[in-house]
Amino acid sequence: MGVRALIEERGAAFEGYTFGFLDDMAKREIRRAILKGVAIPGHQVPFGSREMPIARGWGTGGLQITLACVGADDTIKVIDQGDDASVNAVNLRRLIAKTTGARETLTTGDATLIQTRHRIPEERMTAGQMLILQVPIPEPLRHVERSVAAARAMHAEADYARMWLALYEDVVRNGEVTAGAGYPVMVNHRFVMAPSPIPRWDIPKLDQAETLFLFGAGREKRIYAVPPYTDVKPLEFEDYPFSIEGFPGMSCRRCGATDSYLVTSPQADGSTLSVCSDASYCDDVLGGRKVVNQW
Amino acid sequence: MVAPLLRVRDLNKIYSGKGHRIVACEDVSFDVYPGEVLGIVGESGSGKSTVLQCLFQDVIPTSGSAFLTSFHGGERNMWDADRRERRELRTHRMSMVYQNPRQGLNLMVTAGGNVAERLLAADWRRVSDIRAKASDYLVRTEVPIERMDDFPAFFSGGMQQRVQIAKALANNPELVLLDELTTGLDVSVQAGVLDLVRDIQSRYGVTAIVVSHDLGVIRLLADRTLVMKDGHVVESGLTDQILEDPQHPYTQLLVNCVTN
Ligand SMILES: Nc1ncnc2c1ncn2[C@@H]1O[C@H](COP(=O)(O)OP(=O)(O)O)[C@@H](O)[C@H]1O
Ligand SMILES: [Mg+2]
Repeated sequence: MGVRALIEERGAAFEGYTFGFLDDMAKREIRRAILKGVAIPGHQVPFGSREMPIARGWGTGGLQITLACVGADDTIKVIDQGDDASVNAVNLRRLIAKTTGARETLTTGDATLIQTRHRIPEERMTAGQMLILQVPIPEPLRHVERSVAAARAMHAEADYARMWLALYEDVVRNGEVTAGAGYPVMVNHRFVMAPSPIPRWDIPKLDQAETLFLFGAGREKRIYAVPPYTDVKPLEFEDYPFSIEGFPGMSCRRCGATDSYLVTSPQADGSTLSVCSDASYCDDVLGGRKVVNQW
Repeated sequence: MVAPLLRVRDLNKIYSGKGHRIVACEDVSFDVYPGEVLGIVGESGSGKSTVLQCLFQDVIPTSGSAFLTSFHGGERNMWDADRRERRELRTHRMSMVYQNPRQGLNLMVTAGGNVAERLLAADWRRVSDIRAKASDYLVRTEVPIERMDDFPAFFSGGMQQRVQIAKALANNPELVLLDELTTGLDVSVQAGVLDLVRDIQSRYGVTAIVVSHDLGVIRLLADRTLVMKDGHVVESGLTDQILEDPQHPYTQLLVNCVTN
């Protein structure tokens, strides 16, 4: 559906906007950065991040990728920490749909294109689907090397001794690698990458997936990618292997699932409530729909 | 005849800026043989540190060549190394002990971690092995093992220098560079650190270049010695010979200062 038809159908709110909000040159530049990212898995590609009608830090990087990729017959889903109903997720989804005519969905399996913050869906995504992750800090070496130029040189030379040293110090001080959200990974045996603040639970999903993963950092002006069927391994010591969060003896209070990532929140009466972080998955289990959650 | 481990030829380093041109060292040539300790002695500003910084590639020489036997079979000028090779030279083949431990150590990282960094750079990936090896080096340099997981920021100068030496030994580099090892230390701990280096050298046969303005340090550690003045090597030979029979007037002056 063209913009003209959209305007006719949905009113004047879109007058003056091009299809997908961004102008053609901007989209072309973003797509070029995406192609570079796909060609060099895990490598951060600079791009000219645009001003968006939402504040930086609220998913502008992911949004720009989405708008550069989405077509009128795509079906889009937006997740904010697993939840499709947060104000931010609703706003983003509405913006994307209204400027493109793309269909909206809350169901992982129905989406062709999913933009997300902090989670990878429980339901296994398949070939032809695309997951776009919003990234606050794209540089995994940020906390071991402050200089951007020096960090880039370290990536260029695959010099990750300082990163490993930080993990060693963590083990010495805490008895384990404590990194929770955004656990550093090695992509295609070449680049250390920040997977965005997803829980450890989601890290194994990146490895040899059928889906294309795109990462966008708007404030930091970086795009990177993990193409389908790419090796993605968490950094780990042989004697301190990586492990995901466990929820022993716990289940989702809402749907009863024991095989999903749970979030626990304190209740007014002093007890705690644990439910699926992925609302779509929770609905599926509740509705008795069978979905594959083994990535 | 044993082949030299390192051959340095016509090393020049000129610092030039607006209206000034400082020749830090000029036409410096020497060989280092496996297992020996080469001393470089001379007054402050004579270009000794510059020679070490060029070898460790902290600074880029203006001209000259250096051939390390293990680097492209000694056929390729070390100073033509690309970035990756340069890093390899710095983490696997050579190490440097700086006059100021702050330059050689990361004070925000534990003593063991400082040593571990060179092992991690060499792809060690078992924490237990890394710790065993790091503590082995720390024992060699007489750092109490219970301080392994403490931060060197809180160590004495002498202890920091011992950690730096432990780090420099990690990975068994072919060549260790030591710049004014004891200059910043209290006189009371200088002797201990010198004894330690001498002991390590004789026990493990480390090849080293020791730089000092103090002929006393050189006398204690070096088999052969270069005497530098104003960026030039003015005399070289066996340390004992230089001490007994100095040829150059500047060397004679230095020797007189020590023996008197
Ligand atoms: N970064 C620099 N910029 C300008 N001049 C320098 C620099 N480093 C050293 N020099 C000069 O080069 C000369 C040799 O210095 P250096 O090698 O440090 O001598 P030494 O170690 O024998 O005391 C000195 O005159 C010094 O001032
Ligand atoms: Mg000096």
